[in-house]
Amino acid sequence: MYDIKQLEHEWKQYRKRKFKPWYIGSLSLLVLIASVTVFLMNEKTDFSEWKSYFETSKEVFTDEGKSKNTLVSQEMNVKQSVLINDALNTLEVKDNVIDVVDKDVQKPLNILVDIPVLDDPKEHFVEDGSQVRNKMHLEIIESTSVTAYKDVEKRFLESHDIDDALFLARSYYKKGDYEKAVYWALEINKLDEDMEEGLLIFVKAKAKMDRKNEAVSILTTYIKRSDSQEAKKLLYRIENDKL
Amino acid sequence: MKSRYEVAKNVFVDSIDIDDYIDLDSSVTAYQQLQHSMDKPLKMILLFGRPGTGKSILLNRIQEKLKHQKEIHYFDTPAINEKEFFHKLFKVLTKKDLPSNTEVNFSALVDFCKNLRGKREIIILLDEAQMYGPEMMEKIRLLSDSRAVKFVVSLHKTDDEDLIAKEHFQSRIWEVIELKNATKEDQTAYIHKKLLKKNLFEIANSIKEKNMKRIHKYTKGNYRECNKLLFTIFEICEYYDKNEPSKVNYEKISDKIIEMSALKLGYINV
Repeated sequence: MYDIKQLEHEWKQYRKRKFKPWYIGSLSLLVLIASVTVFLMNEKTDFSEWKSYFETSKEVFTDEGKSKNTLVSQEMNVKQSVLINDALNTLEVKDNVIDVVDKDVQKPLNILVDIPVLDDPKEHFVEDGSQVRNKMHLEIIESTSVTAYKDVEKRFLESHDIDDALFLARSYYKKGDYEKAVYWALEINKLDEDMEEGLLIFVKAKAKMDRKNEAVSILTTYIKRSDSQEAKKLLYRIENDKL
Repeated sequence: MKSRYEVAKNVFVDSIDIDDYIDLDSSVTAYQQLQHSMDKPLKMILLFGRPGTGKSILLNRIQEKLKHQKEIHYFDTPAINEKEFFHKLFKVLTKKDLPSNTEVNFSALVDFCKNLRGKREIIILLDEAQMYGPEMMEKIRLLSDSRAVKFVVSLHKTDDEDLIAKEHFQSRIWEVIELKNATKEDQTAYIHKKLLKKNLFEIANSIKEKNMKRIHKYTKGNYRECNKLLFTIFEICEYYDKNEPSKVNYEKISDKIIEMSALKLGYINV
């Protein structure tokens, strides 16, 4: 009879060796599957992070030239002061950092923009540097839009806000609609007789309407009363046809 | 108490006992082919195949079957020397014992055979003929030329051996019969028939198809190797049956026992 115990021992060794490649193969497969799964999961997370990072940095305005492709979204955070020049014709954004959250819309540069909502633009002026991240909702409407002026006129009828009248007088004068500019200058004058800018717009509009004598007469009367340097300069320009 | 596996084990003791002969499709074909060849006027018939393919048992079987019809003689083990071989042959041919201290005159023997032509037809079955040297084989060929004596020569075949290319077989071999290893189906039938012949139904039933596949894989269909493997399997079963019965599944021979047997016989290695 054989040494059965020895034979059993040999058989166990044989089985181990026989199934070793299977164990190794199965283990390798499991490790591979686990690695791929972990890799895919990590990749997914990182990818979304990278995606948001790149999308944010892509929209940062680096210079004014780039503002040709100003992207405006429904939700826009203005992180620096917004300056509106004296004619309110151009919107100047200095060192703006705008986070675009959602949908992007292209906006051409140097177009005349109108801001129907002008609660108190000066407020933004006086804010100190610490409030550079003040949020502001901008609704920019092209100046060619008739409805924009109508909206402001309608609002003026309700509020009699002198700023709205001043805005309309300036805008119509700039557009060359001198009759309307005269109308809104008179509205200003009705609200505040001492508002020099309203008077000057009125005089300039009259001069443009070939009513130079009338313009000079009004302006002379005003200079006598106020001794305004701006008025004097304007008088000189009208008299010398340099308007 | 005698284990059931002890009987099963002894079924597979390797022998050429005619009682152990199993009729299989392949063996029946070989038998019929050999019988048909012996009926032809051939001088020599070559029966060859790898060891364990059933050559000896086939010769034994055909001798047993035809001994009452033909003058057929089976030389199972090769003679130690030429003298002994011719003594044996002399007795077959003359039906007399050669007196001691005498030698057979080969020329006289050839003449004797020539005289027998047409009177007797003697068939000599030479097993393990690869043991005979070329000189002996040449003398056997000369005797066969007498047409009174027909030789069925059984030879082992090895991988690099082309028996037909050998000089003494080139011109005179008229019929060649090759025995091959069993197919899985034949081997399965062989194992089952052997066990059923001894009324070991339960044990035969415990060797399943999967086991047969494994056994065929290890033995490559060789009957001798099959006998060895089955003997070892049942011997291990017998041990467990007697000493650790919990390790024996009487319904099914376990892979473990087959693999242990294969390890023991060197079919597989650690």
